[in-house]
Amino acid sequence: MGFLRKYGCIIIFLSLWELLSRTGIINPIFFPPFTVVLATIYKMTLTGEMVIHVRLSLMRALVGFFLATLMGVPLGLMLGTWFKSFYKFTELPLEVLSQINPFLLFHILILFMGIGEAPKITIVFWTCLWPITFSTMNGASSVNKNLIKAGRAFGLGSFGLLTKIVLPAASPLIFAGLRLGLGYSMFMLVAAEMMGASSGLGFLTLNSQESFQLNKMYAAVVVIAFLGLLLDFIIYMIGRKYFLLANEGYVTVGEN
Amino acid sequence: MWLAKTIFVKYSVLVFLLLLWELSGVFNWVDQAFFPSLSTTVETIVSMWSKVHLFMHLMVSLCRVLVSLIISLILAIPFAFLFARVLPTFFSRIEALLRVFSIINPYCLFPLFVVFFGSGEIAKISVLTWVSMWPIFFSTLAGIKNVDPLLVKTAKSMDAGPITIFFKVVLPGALPSIFNGIRIGVEMSFFILIAAEMTGATAGLGWIVHSASALNQVTMVYGAGLLIVVLGVFLNRSLNFLRSGLFFWKEERDPIAGITGPLVGAKRISNTTLAIMAAVFVAVLSIGLYEIYRAEVMLNDPTVIPEYRVWTE
Repeated sequence: MGFLRKYGCIIIFLSLWELLSRTGIINPIFFPPFTVVLATIYKMTLTGEMVIHVRLSLMRALVGFFLATLMGVPLGLMLGTWFKSFYKFTELPLEVLSQINPFLLFHILILFMGIGEAPKITIVFWTCLWPITFSTMNGASSVNKNLIKAGRAFGLGSFGLLTKIVLPAASPLIFAGLRLGLGYSMFMLVAAEMMGASSGLGFLTLNSQESFQLNKMYAAVVVIAFLGLLLDFIIYMIGRKYFLLANEGYVTVGEN
Repeated sequence: MWLAKTIFVKYSVLVFLLLLWELSGVFNWVDQAFFPSLSTTVETIVSMWSKVHLFMHLMVSLCRVLVSLIISLILAIPFAFLFARVLPTFFSRIEALLRVFSIINPYCLFPLFVVFFGSGEIAKISVLTWVSMWPIFFSTLAGIKNVDPLLVKTAKSMDAGPITIFFKVVLPGALPSIFNGIRIGVEMSFFILIAAEMTGATAGLGWIVHSASALNQVTMVYGAGLLIVVLGVFLNRSLNFLRSGLFFWKEERDPIAGITGPLVGAKRISNTTLAIMAAVFVAVLSIGLYEIYRAEVMLNDPTVIPEYRVWTE
């Protein structure tokens, strides 16, 4: 019952879409019924067309995201702990860099990297990097001072402090950054694929729109929306299990 | 002395990076055709001012952001108040659907909006509205929820009616959160704007980048790009300035010092500054609307500005 109360609206929305389109109240050529869209997805999966695009898009998004995590988390940790005073120097440059629009970058990266996978992965990387870096920095710098003092008292060196205390204590905020970054990665990837690609879900959407295969376009749109929700759900579950989401006590939120 | 030190701390790295960019051109470290130096880029911006009507495109881009901001404010804030104060049960029923909508990628909606509204100005503005609407909506909700119930009770005990409570307690209490939503919304929509102009537009800064890149005018890509970055930083800064000026009383956690307190250096914004900012807002909006109209006219009239046609080909 609780499930119905919470998600019933989505079912109502989908059935309303189906109903309005079937009865012709909204034009079924422009808005094919939801079941037709599902059938199209099924058909495209059987022919393998959808599988190719989904695999490529997911690969690009996830590789870019992992690279951004690999760079953003250590960078944020460094700026939040060891190089705290250095942060004042880098605040403005980081702000300027984070304002460099990934699409702008796309046009410039093509000059250096060609039109293969590299520029697409790079712009996903660039987009994810900033939320991850900034929230890691935020988390690392606001670790409860008493925890650090306790760690010192037990004889931890600066590296030990970083890995044993700062990293776990900052993990809720790091995780928030990762979730935001993963959300952005799909976001930007679809646009990048719309602008210059010959494969991927963004390309599929734009290509089927331009060739007026609206069933296919809706299929791609539904799959993109579904993938976005799925990725968000997966990272949310991982976070709840491993990142101490509930345990905000390690980070000073209130008084210090 | 203190001032000199702050300026040094704040700008030294940025100046160093810009210097490096310039020197890379002077000593030819990288190919100038692919990576023009800072001075070349600035020169290009100056020449673009007359050559491709840079001012028009700048205003068109800014105006799109502002118009979408106004529409999403009109849509998001009343609905958020309605759902939070009047229809909370109804909202809890449809919350999941709204959350799903807010996660949906705006680009995959772009074709839908084109089907709805045609490929003109409205499709672009509706994408931007979609993007900026959700952060404003959800942060308004959060703001209303986080208003201290003690304040509401106090007002009630002083015999304040629901309208007085709304305007004197709930709205001011929620305003910092609403403004935060506006900040996120504007930043997101400025981000998306550039992409939307690249995929299907005939004017705007994103369009300049896109068509310059298609015509292999690399310096122009850098010129328009630099302008976009500067504009983004400027928008960010002015919103932050406005926030600390309007909500100087709001306590917030400093990310570095890790302590909660009033915003550092927050002072009440003076009425003159506020009036100037409002005037700039209105001016950009009205000039931008005129420039959008002018861009449309230019596009349809090949005899007016011949160079302009080159750019649309």
